[in-house]
Amino acid sequence: MTPDRTPDMHLLPRRRRSTGLIAASMATALVVASCGGDDGNGGTDNGAAENGEAVAGGGTISSYTCEPQNLQPGNNTENCGSRVLQQLFTGLTVVDHETNEAVPAVATDWETEDQVTWTFTLGEDWTFHNGDPVTAQTFVDSWNWVVDPDNAQAGANFHDKFLGYEEVMEGEAEEMEGVRAVDDHTLEIELTEPFGQLPLVLTYTSFYPMPEEAFEDMDAFQNAPVGNGRYEMDGEWVRDTEINMNRYEEWAGEEPGSPERIEWRIYSDVETAYMDVQAGELDILSEAPPNRIPQVEDDFGENYSQNESSRFVYIGLPMYQDEWDDVDLRHALSMAMDREEINDQIFDGAMTPAYSILPPTLPMARENACEYCEFDPEAAADLYEAAGGPSEFTMYTDTGQGHDEYVEAIANQWRANLPIDDISFQTMEFAQYLDLHDQDEITGPYRLGWLLAYPSPQYAMEPLYTTGAASNNAGYASEEFDEAIREANFAGEEESDELYQAAEDILLEDLPVLPLFFQDYFVVHTDRVDNVYSDLSSYVRVEDVVVLED
Amino acid sequence: MTGYIIRRLLQFIPVVIAATLIVYAMVFLMPGDPIRALAGDRPMSPQVQEALREQYNLNDPFLVQYAKYMWGVFTQADFGTTFQGRPVLDMIQQGLPITLTLAAVAFCFQAVIGIIAGILAAVFRDSFIDRLIQVSLVIVVALPTLAIAFLLQLTFGLNLGWFPIAGNREGMVSYILPGIVLAAVSTGIVARMLRSELIEALQSDYVRTATAKGMKRSRVVTRHALRNSLIPVVTFLGADLATMMGGAIVVESVFNLPGLGGQVFRSIQAQENTVVVGIVTLFVLFYVVINLLVDLLYAVLDPRIRYD
Repeated sequence: MTPDRTPDMHLLPRRRRSTGLIAASMATALVVASCGGDDGNGGTDNGAAENGEAVAGGGTISSYTCEPQNLQPGNNTENCGSRVLQQLFTGLTVVDHETNEAVPAVATDWETEDQVTWTFTLGEDWTFHNGDPVTAQTFVDSWNWVVDPDNAQAGANFHDKFLGYEEVMEGEAEEMEGVRAVDDHTLEIELTEPFGQLPLVLTYTSFYPMPEEAFEDMDAFQNAPVGNGRYEMDGEWVRDTEINMNRYEEWAGEEPGSPERIEWRIYSDVETAYMDVQAGELDILSEAPPNRIPQVEDDFGENYSQNESSRFVYIGLPMYQDEWDDVDLRHALSMAMDREEINDQIFDGAMTPAYSILPPTLPMARENACEYCEFDPEAAADLYEAAGGPSEFTMYTDTGQGHDEYVEAIANQWRANLPIDDISFQTMEFAQYLDLHDQDEITGPYRLGWLLAYPSPQYAMEPLYTTGAASNNAGYASEEFDEAIREANFAGEEESDELYQAAEDILLEDLPVLPLFFQDYFVVHTDRVDNVYSDLSSYVRVEDVVVLED
Repeated sequence: MTGYIIRRLLQFIPVVIAATLIVYAMVFLMPGDPIRALAGDRPMSPQVQEALREQYNLNDPFLVQYAKYMWGVFTQADFGTTFQGRPVLDMIQQGLPITLTLAAVAFCFQAVIGIIAGILAAVFRDSFIDRLIQVSLVIVVALPTLAIAFLLQLTFGLNLGWFPIAGNREGMVSYILPGIVLAAVSTGIVARMLRSELIEALQSDYVRTATAKGMKRSRVVTRHALRNSLIPVVTFLGADLATMMGGAIVVESVFNLPGLGGQVFRSIQAQENTVVVGIVTLFVLFYVVINLLVDLLYAVLDPRIRYD
């Protein structure tokens, strides 16, 4: 870290907010498409225009990924595989990365009157890479297969608001009653209760359509998944090595992929991948390792970008322990945390300090929504004293990935600002850490993170804070909040924003968790590619990358 | 000789049973629930978790799990699958050639460079060459493996561009840097070991006799002194070839080679018992076979040794 390079001066102005960038990228893509790729510098101020022309046909890019757990749409819940699956499959709806809203994909249109019964109209030209048509029945079969407990798919519970989900899970029914193919191109979905966020939920990996052959032998299928996405597999997934795909020219969507071919290179160590990008062996790395961030500008000049994501990292408080079930205490701890200082000292300015529960990139998010997140050590100390906060306690974290560093920094701030004598630490492997949470055996503040599977305010709150929810590790229980989130879920698109804000306000008052930061991802790339950025889920939008030289 | 080999082979059986049982128990006893960890902080529905536990026999008591696993191995050569349905045998087939290539390259480095350096240092004892070899070997032995790896990647991969930084896309060339890293520490040990052995041998009576008979210096060193001095070195090299499998865990990860070392590492983290046991059993077998070969090699080096 060089002392004169403060993050505020150099890193932050380079931050690419998603607005504007995507518009420019689409402009580039359109220009490239309309000119057949041989004249890609149509006067946009971004992408190809700066450095040269895009190559004809789109060219080949290589991009980093880690070894996927699996390549089964219904079973994948991690980044390494998701970013690959997103290119192989296209759902009913997809996320517009500029607005973070759901837009049509396989479904051209949808309507609902009560947010309970939804009718999706499907486009007619959609086919799998093997030529099979994608129809309403395809979705019915795919979703029923994913939910069937015999198939043990990790993504099954994303379907839990569908009518008939419980019955299938309990083995009382073979198929979900609420998912029906009216005809080839009309899909009807009935939910157990109103849910206005359904179009956003359907963008998630577990809702991708799968061809007949997938159900016969999923283990074999995932070696070369046949999807309906922008890109199709070229050869098989070579474990721990690579996954190659070519542009699917029959793709029925509106903006075909820009590169002709994507080669995913699988790395076990990001450090190695970083060096390979420096050497020009790998084109794109979506997550430069934290210790390289201070030097990223020296190493890559213009060829990097800082991208906001929805990854929310927080300090939770075990409210099931009487000691922590005191709102003043939680306010005091929150106000005694200097989030800016942690960002500067530990991360070299590479994160976005969190002053809200909803990620700032969501359309309805408000900056500085959290009153008790402002750093105010004096008020915090008084409040802590008055609340009779403990003078000794233990903080919990999981090993690896440098979590202990910022947890210790917070502990130091608390010790300095509050009447606390001693804070000890418990650090353990992730599996064991989750066990302690499940068994309510955490006795002090702990760190955890949450990445949105789909960009809905509902998913940023409901699974974590509703009473008894599976990921409600804090043990927070508030009827007021439960009611507020229900009301927001029930609402249609127009009214829901304010209602989700109201639900967030309750959380920011009760503070079951103390917001710490939203993680930013540094994407680095070689000279030969341009227009490289990552979305809310930290995935590089490889389909938009422009190749400048072969 | 044949009887000796058969006796040694029979000893493999208890060794394999003990090793697999211990490894299985260690992974089994790791805290935390592997199925729960599989899903991360985004929980799976209880029915799905239950189905997975059933599928991988995780609800059975320890000995039953172990017995079911070993039964599959010995009756159907079924080494089980990962939690994601990938056959362990498939992983071994992919990873073994890579790890063996890496080990072979590393072995060549440490044998050739270690022995040459050891001979030079002993023959030109206390000269500049000796000092130079000694000092550089101390440095190599003292540096952490990761630092050596990083240094080589930075110098020969990134700055000079002579070798690929990572991966095995470019064939044998890709194995040179990781081979050197894996061999580094042992090369130093081999050279120092051989140096002291050889110096001792060069002062012994039979060498003096050979020299007195007018034999050429080079022949005295290679035919008489070296042959004797090599016995402890061969023991070490053999044992080291086997432990290289362990060293491969770090090296494969840093150089992004999809070998068995990296597989074991990830599987231990994910508590995938079947994978860990499958691969570790292979390592154990490898170790005992190498040891047997080393023992047999003694007879070649020292005609006084007989097996019967």
